[in-house]
Amino acid sequence: MIRAFTLISLLSLLIPAIASAQKPCVISGTIKDAATGETLTGATVKIKELPQNGTTANSYGFYSIQAPPGDYTLLFTHIGYQTITKQISLQHSQTINIALNKNSELQEVVIRSDKPNNDQIASPLLGVEKLNMAQINQVPVLLGERDILKTISLLPGIKSAGEGNTGFYVRGGASDQNLILLDEAPVYNASHFFGFFSTFNSDAIKNVSIYKGGMPAEYGGRLSSVLDIIMNDGNNKDFTVQGGLGLIASRIKVEGPLVKDKGSFMVSARRTYLDLFLKASSDSTIKGSTLYFYDVNAKVNYHFDDKNALYLSGYFGKDVLALKSIFGTNWGNSTGTIRFNHIFNNRLFSNTSLIYSNYNYTIQGSQNKNDFKATSQITDLNLKEDLQYSIGNDHTLKFGLNVLHHTIAPGNITTTATSSYNNKSVEQRYGFENTAYVSDEWKANDKLTILYGLRLSGMFLVGPGTFSTYNSAGNTLSSTAYGSGQFVKNYINLEPRFSASYQLNDENSIKASYNRNTQNIHLLTNSTSSSPTDLYVMSSNNIKPEIADQVSTGWFRNFKDNTYEFSAEVYYKKLQNQIDYKDGAQLIANQDVESQLTYGAGRAYGLELFLKKKYGRFNGWIGYTLSRTELKFDAINNGNYYPARQDRTHDLSVVGIYQLNKRWSFSGAFIYGTGNAVSYPTGKYEVGGLTTFSYSQRNGYRLPSSNRLDIGATLEGKEHKKYHSSWIFGIYNIYGHRDPYLITFRDSKTVPNTTEAVETSIFATPIPSVTWNFKF
Amino acid sequence: MKLYKIYIVSVLSILTVSCTKVVDLKLGNDTGKLVIEGNLTDVNGPQYIKISRNVPFTNTNTYPAVTGASVSVVDDAGHTYPYNEGPSGTYTSSSMNGVAGSTYTMAAIINGQKYTASSTMPALVSLDSITAKNKPVNNSNHEKEITVHYQDPGGVVNQYRFVMYVNSVEVTSVFAFNDEFTDGRYIHTLLDQDAIKIYSGDTVTVEMQCIDKLVYTYWSTLMQQGSNGPSGSVAPSNPPTNISPATLGYLSAHTSQVKTIIVR
Repeated sequence: MIRAFTLISLLSLLIPAIASAQKPCVISGTIKDAATGETLTGATVKIKELPQNGTTANSYGFYSIQAPPGDYTLLFTHIGYQTITKQISLQHSQTINIALNKNSELQEVVIRSDKPNNDQIASPLLGVEKLNMAQINQVPVLLGERDILKTISLLPGIKSAGEGNTGFYVRGGASDQNLILLDEAPVYNASHFFGFFSTFNSDAIKNVSIYKGGMPAEYGGRLSSVLDIIMNDGNNKDFTVQGGLGLIASRIKVEGPLVKDKGSFMVSARRTYLDLFLKASSDSTIKGSTLYFYDVNAKVNYHFDDKNALYLSGYFGKDVLALKSIFGTNWGNSTGTIRFNHIFNNRLFSNTSLIYSNYNYTIQGSQNKNDFKATSQITDLNLKEDLQYSIGNDHTLKFGLNVLHHTIAPGNITTTATSSYNNKSVEQRYGFENTAYVSDEWKANDKLTILYGLRLSGMFLVGPGTFSTYNSAGNTLSSTAYGSGQFVKNYINLEPRFSASYQLNDENSIKASYNRNTQNIHLLTNSTSSSPTDLYVMSSNNIKPEIADQVSTGWFRNFKDNTYEFSAEVYYKKLQNQIDYKDGAQLIANQDVESQLTYGAGRAYGLELFLKKKYGRFNGWIGYTLSRTELKFDAINNGNYYPARQDRTHDLSVVGIYQLNKRWSFSGAFIYGTGNAVSYPTGKYEVGGLTTFSYSQRNGYRLPSSNRLDIGATLEGKEHKKYHSSWIFGIYNIYGHRDPYLITFRDSKTVPNTTEAVETSIFATPIPSVTWNFKF
Repeated sequence: MKLYKIYIVSVLSILTVSCTKVVDLKLGNDTGKLVIEGNLTDVNGPQYIKISRNVPFTNTNTYPAVTGASVSVVDDAGHTYPYNEGPSGTYTSSSMNGVAGSTYTMAAIINGQKYTASSTMPALVSLDSITAKNKPVNNSNHEKEITVHYQDPGGVVNQYRFVMYVNSVEVTSVFAFNDEFTDGRYIHTLLDQDAIKIYSGDTVTVEMQCIDKLVYTYWSTLMQQGSNGPSGSVAPSNPPTNISPATLGYLSAHTSQVKTIIVR
């Protein structure tokens, strides 16, 4: 009831907003890149004469701004582009489509024609980072494979799940609490090759935003973060081919107009040649093995007219590993998005999306006649309607609906008659996640901007299927069969979202936010790295929705004409209905997998400091996080709070990029982090003739701290009319630091009758890489 | 499915430059905890319950015996078997054997505190044979691996534990399996291990134990914690015990069969 009142009172806030809307003229349009025709997300539009009036283009490049009739100077700016000033005489509403020219890199150094703006000061969002692909491409990475996920883990509050692992933790959340969207489609397993590489091919990507807190109401479904990745649309002016040859993979991208200025396409693909390493092996079995991954991104768009545009985009990726005929596994994601943009009028923008996402894996084995083939998959189908309505310059309303259908096939095992294994099929599970949201960005006055909204999320688990309840020992208490479409369990959650910024002056602002997020799809894994056998379950009669409440506040400061940005944010997050599994849990193809689970709570808090230099010959950032993440389960650690594995007290990253001259640029990235929380034995004993270790506290110890410096250099080829090429050199872990990866305990191999602790490090020596890129 | 992990490990080691070293760690000192290990088999003879205490990690592997305990086992027919204290914390019954289907309850009074545990001896499943063959991966020196063969009875839940000895030295790996995926099948289970390399001419002995569900959970938890590969493992903890109040160790009533081969 209280929640309903909150909803009504929040909605009633919107009414005066609508009522106060006068009848000024509206300027609207689309902002694009002049050379490629790509729409520019996040470009800003300002009216020089009305400095408090400003707006930002949405993810389709659409903007809408209002002013009373008069003569104005419009300023169109976007980072990395030359600002355009346009004189207009505004008598009635009009459409102005703008194409911005990219700064050449030389210009950026010498002239810097784009004036840095103070977006970060004025925006009500906090805990948000938008990354520019040019910068991502210069950060040195392992084996030269540019990687968004590795680069974002250099930001404060975001931690890599470990060396060579693309899993990441945001503000203490588990890695399944991140919503990873590729053109709005959720990507369930964002890693290739057990997490050493991410599924995102940088060539195909236009834009990356990560929301760590203060999430706007249009996003939801996961507790910790949203990583919103938008693919390139494709050049609608010229036909271009670009690609690269690297140490482990090569890439190619083709893009061009379908109908000049109206439609374009983009296809980008890459494949590894890890197989060659195997072929070089002297061992005949390894020689006969298969090991590769590939992925393809494709996108087509067509603009029927100024008001209607259609986008089709898709991703398909697969990892294949096989050890002769003994063992094989493959897994992959595929996503597809159809989007239709319609501009109803100069204030109302609509996007309708139909989204498909599938993640599946297969494991096959045949040894000792023990053949089996196990498959598992999750499929999502999602219909989404998002609307954006500019009421006036002081109110931008966003609202939408979303119907998402999940089908989970947890496990299916097929065997032949001679196998040791039986055929087994675990019932499929079906569910709907339906959501509605409304949010308003309200510029209350020159100084105060408030973004507030509500998200109503419903989880509906439906039949057919047999659903059981369990006692604490994991034994079945009751089982009920449900028919097709029958509701098994429903959960309705209301998620308030609020964030505000108060601008003290042009260079300083303070911000605060509160948001609640819920999560109805949960990952069960008994492995710390990304494994293809990861199993997804929905909220059910046993599993309650996970809930996170986060408050955060921050101080934002720009220096030297907005060349430097500094921010300090603190957050506190309370987690409910967290999931862990019991000792000895069996998760694979288990009909009663929910009997293996145990539930608890968590809390995370921290301080994030971020200093960023966005412009100039030398740019980069320093990020520091001081944080704590703790979990509490009745069955673990005597019911006391204990540090989560990903709890990392200190985390420091320093990234620097230096443009020496027109051809050479250099980069470096240094990281330091407290070791993961781990459980070490506090004693030993003997059972069954084996030395066995006893434990007294969950995660009571720390791996040693880790640090590493990676460097890179880019050499641009000589300017050429027809083509362009560049070399990227890198050295990962240049001083060969031994970062502890894991510590194991065993009987000593050298001193009889004693035990020893053994530290394993990977990538403990400098690893060089070279990549050649071309474009024509 | 264990093979899967091994495969990941070997593939990763090709691609990643990994290295290991022995390190000194400051480990806690939560020692002096009671360890009770009771085994009761269907083989006629004295049965043993061993009581000791755990020691710090840095000590040698010698565990202080607990003496002066009063130990007995009662079966579900109400028959009590007293255990007599022997050397180094070992308590021994007179010659007897457990019977499949019977539940055995231990009572041990140690320093005035009573500890109890129950275990039911499952029906015997016959061990057909054990065989040796070349390891399939990375094996230029013809290292062998051991497979056990047996018919799992259909329609009932079975749990197994295997103990392997190579030239009379116990292999320090846990092998615990259930029939969740294999119920009613003729089963070939690989006893995969790296502790002792096996070559032609070695004598390999395998003991097959049919164990009850709680004892299976105990061993399979230890087994999962043993596979500390780069693919990660569960956070280690003490395996759930069937002893109450909880302490380290277990009571297992199980059948026991032994087969020996000389590897060719």
